[in-house]
Amino acid sequence: MDLDYSPVLDSWRFLLNGLELTLALSFLTILCSLTLGGAIGLARCYGPRWLAVPLVFYVDSMRSVPVLVVLVWTYFALPLVIGVTLPPFWAALVALTAQIAAYVAEIVRAGVTSIRAGQTRAAFALGMSRAQTIRTIVLPQALVRMLPAFGSILSITIKDTAIAAVIAVPEYMNRSQTVAGQSFHPIEVFTVAMAVYFVILFPVTRVVDIVYVRLAHLGRL
Amino acid sequence: MNFDWSVVWRNADAVAEGTKLTILLAVTTMAIAIPGGIVLALMRLSGVRVLSSLSACFVELFRNLPLILVIYTAYYVLPVATGFSLSPITTAIVALSLNVSAYNGETFRAGIASIRQGQSEAAYALGMTRWQATREIVLPQAVRRVLPVLASTWVSLFKDTSLVSVISVGELAYTSMRIRAQTYRVLEMLTAMAAIYWLLGYPQAKLVDWINRRYAVNE
Repeated sequence: MDLDYSPVLDSWRFLLNGLELTLALSFLTILCSLTLGGAIGLARCYGPRWLAVPLVFYVDSMRSVPVLVVLVWTYFALPLVIGVTLPPFWAALVALTAQIAAYVAEIVRAGVTSIRAGQTRAAFALGMSRAQTIRTIVLPQALVRMLPAFGSILSITIKDTAIAAVIAVPEYMNRSQTVAGQSFHPIEVFTVAMAVYFVILFPVTRVVDIVYVRLAHLGRL
Repeated sequence: MNFDWSVVWRNADAVAEGTKLTILLAVTTMAIAIPGGIVLALMRLSGVRVLSSLSACFVELFRNLPLILVIYTAYYVLPVATGFSLSPITTAIVALSLNVSAYNGETFRAGIASIRQGQSEAAYALGMTRWQATREIVLPQAVRRVLPVLASTWVSLFKDTSLVSVISVGELAYTSMRIRAQTYRVLEMLTAMAAIYWLLGYPQAKLVDWINRRYAVNE
């Protein structure tokens, strides 16, 4: 079997642009998901009771529908409902955020509820307000416990952006498909893609593991 | 805006076939990936340097690659590597199994490692061999402990089967998108697809929550 990597080398600039878009999409998705998911998670713990019902429904629905389906639906079907066509990149951002924010919300809720009720009661006994208790007692402890799960959210997000190739977001996966199709050297192109994704993702998971080992003792009560 | 939902009913048979294939893919993959994961975990913990690094490389590689890329690569590489062309369904099962085995390997490794050393030491003290201690003392306890994680992996796998639509395996996502392209009933077909995934996935997600509560470790 002769391997010819020249198609990858010839289109390195084209592929690099795709990689930049992968990273940009990952970064924006993580930013939006943390904000939205954090808000949903806290609203579920501390918000009014009637709000919990739609939030639980949203979170559980996103946990049960594939991200591919959310992407395709947002890009192709949503415009028919709202009458506005989103460009692929923004459709991908909306769909990935909708999905990943649900996971973040679940992590935040699990983190907050894992802090024993005695902590809150002790804070109240010291005369702290509700907001003070949440901010200075519950959240700092909960955040440490959430960290490893947030770490896996990072790598899940980067991996999920590759699925955006399906709605033609010109990110790295999509660009690799284009180069593979034009050059008739799919094996070389996809092998390089595997190496590139691995080189990005492996340090992320490693650093997360190391940070977790360093911080694990803070989460113990 | 006028929607014609009858398109879903007219294609109900094809959609049902796709749904069946989705379930079949998930079941087959899990049936391969559970033994696969156990083998990987035992290799990792065997104490034989070559076996444990092989297993570590496998697990780290497939945990750190987007599944959709593994599916594409399998689609193009497998025919060249094996010398004969495989059906898309076989390719899909291979790609999904590689991915899920890696996750299961890590799950079982953590599960086995979480059983305290004293358990196997006690077994040795009773005169059991290493293999007996693993099989009769450690694994049964580990399986109970990894059950919640396996259940979450199952739900992820069930959703991830939708990704094999990119190599035209006729499961639920592919079938729905094909009918959408033929009939131009975009919203109706895509919503039906999402609804079916939801109907199948929602009870599973709830079941996972229940298993998590039921088998939670309290030490």
